[in-house]
Amino acid sequence: MSALTAKAYRELGANPYRPWPARITSITELTPKETLFELRLIDKNVRDAFEFTAGQFVELSIFGVGEAPISISSAPSKQGFIELCIRKTGSVTNAIHRMRCGDVVGLRGPFGRGFPFEKMMGHDVVLVAGGLGIAPLKSLINHIHDERHAFGKVTILLGARNPSEILFRQEFDMWRHRQDFDLIMTVDQPDSVWDGEVGLVTRLFTDLEIDPGNTYGAICGPPVMYPFVVEEMRKKDLNVDRIYVSIERRMKCGIGMCGHCAVGHQYTCIEGPVFSYWEALNLEEAL
Amino acid sequence: MIYKIIAKQAIEDLFKGLQENYDEVAGPRACGPAFVFDKLQHACELRLDYESTILPPTKYFLAPTERLMRFNRVTGESYDSEPVQTSRAIIGMHPCDINAVLLLDEIFLGDFIDPHYAAARKSTFIIGTSCMPTVGHICNAFGTDEIHRGFDLFLTDLDDRYLLSCRSVPALELVDKYLAASDPTAKDIDDFQERTKRFKDAFTFTPNMDQLPLLYGAKYNDEQLWKDVGDDCLCCGACAAVCPVCYCFDVCDKLDASGQTGLRYRSWDSCLKSEFAEVAHNHNFRPTRASRVRYRFYHKFVGNFSRQGKMLCVGCGRCMRACKVNITPARIIGALQQSQIDKEDATGDGIEKADDAE
Repeated sequence: MSALTAKAYRELGANPYRPWPARITSITELTPKETLFELRLIDKNVRDAFEFTAGQFVELSIFGVGEAPISISSAPSKQGFIELCIRKTGSVTNAIHRMRCGDVVGLRGPFGRGFPFEKMMGHDVVLVAGGLGIAPLKSLINHIHDERHAFGKVTILLGARNPSEILFRQEFDMWRHRQDFDLIMTVDQPDSVWDGEVGLVTRLFTDLEIDPGNTYGAICGPPVMYPFVVEEMRKKDLNVDRIYVSIERRMKCGIGMCGHCAVGHQYTCIEGPVFSYWEALNLEEAL
Repeated sequence: MIYKIIAKQAIEDLFKGLQENYDEVAGPRACGPAFVFDKLQHACELRLDYESTILPPTKYFLAPTERLMRFNRVTGESYDSEPVQTSRAIIGMHPCDINAVLLLDEIFLGDFIDPHYAAARKSTFIIGTSCMPTVGHICNAFGTDEIHRGFDLFLTDLDDRYLLSCRSVPALELVDKYLAASDPTAKDIDDFQERTKRFKDAFTFTPNMDQLPLLYGAKYNDEQLWKDVGDDCLCCGACAAVCPVCYCFDVCDKLDASGQTGLRYRSWDSCLKSEFAEVAHNHNFRPTRASRVRYRFYHKFVGNFSRQGKMLCVGCGRCMRACKVNITPARIIGALQQSQIDKEDATGDGIEKADDAE
């Protein structure tokens, strides 16, 4: 069985609305609102065929409740398991927070277009995440980590409202001391023991050196953040077609039929959720 | 395509043939002062002289609600919902509605194939029929007044007889078996050409559509224009419900009484509903009525045009009759073109300038 693409569905005559059962294999509470769920597809053939790129998403089914689109947080190079970083916000995301290890959920996907990993290879990258935006970006960060030799300078800028809301904090705390990654964390509201930066993520650009002809940018976070971060990147002469953003829309089908995720003339579930900033600028309502 | 001529009363024989070969025969019948596509028992119910129906026949391909699958909540296993597909013949579809089906084909039989839509398409025999434009029919603007494919059989009304266009093998078999058909004569062809001319001349709304997508893009941020339309719009979604090419749907789960098993189904949705583009934390990408009505027509005139090269409107006029506040494709097209004329009058600039200014 080849990868779970539209073509494969067509050739198999399979019903693309039917999710594959997946078992929850690990639950890690990151903050009171966000939890990292590790899932394992039960069918071995499906598991082996499940290939994706960082930035793609799955439709998570909680049977009897519904479906929600969730970005994959684990790296494509991690075989056999899929990690989803989920915030309690709606009926589906609240329902999975009530589940335990061993419970069964459904997965469809992977859907959409992720970050252009191969295009980024051989270049410097600047990755910027705000709040929950780290969820899809974590997949890219982990993938770059696994293929570290193929990249130039890797800069990661993380912003959060306060230290307790930083996701994957323990892991990233250690990364701050690594030689091969420049990781800077900043919060708006520090607590008494905070030893990182204070202020908006845009402030971190002041001392940053970017080689505009040799750098790709990727930004994930609340939409309001995008224009400001892009503005900082533009000040460093980085072109908008080298900056990638991931956008969020309501979704139902994930396969370009239900119409909910339309942005301009494109569908977030097919052409997105990752767009170059140049593309996003030319899509009505995208930003 | 093979052409034949049949007498008008031969429709009864055709109907009998359809009943013998298909589980269900659907067609337009009178319902109060209006017409509806419905299951027909007798040929006498069939009203091929109908102007339009309340709902389009596309409801037979994309049902108002439809099971997507059944599931077991505990094991996570899912099953294709059992096929309830009956073979159906639809008689009396106008060219606009057949064109609508062809547009839906590109969406539901594209990269991903919707198995429910595909099954309905496969088991349906389509008989089209010619029409005469009346008020609100603007199919000429979208090129959907003509149809050359997408049907099995097409009936062109030549006053006292029909010209039959047979496009499929089952259609030819049906004609051979049930109808006393003759080959068209020179007079039949003359009458057909005369009828086509009469049909083309009957259209009163003839806008220039070439620049519509470009004009829409240029006027997308014209707040006053969209506020005027948005202030009128009730966002009731009636236009989307009666539109043959509105296909957006919502997906919901329903548990059985046992709580162990259940089904997932879809139902028609409308982009005019306030929650259509709402995401987590009540963030709404289209919070105002103006933004929703602007998006609805954007998708029709620009969105699908950019994606598939075709506008998502067949000019059938159903939304015009359904809308309580007179928001119609013709009004939107008119408003866009009028605002452009006003702008040209004020500045002496054309559309190219308006585009540059962005």
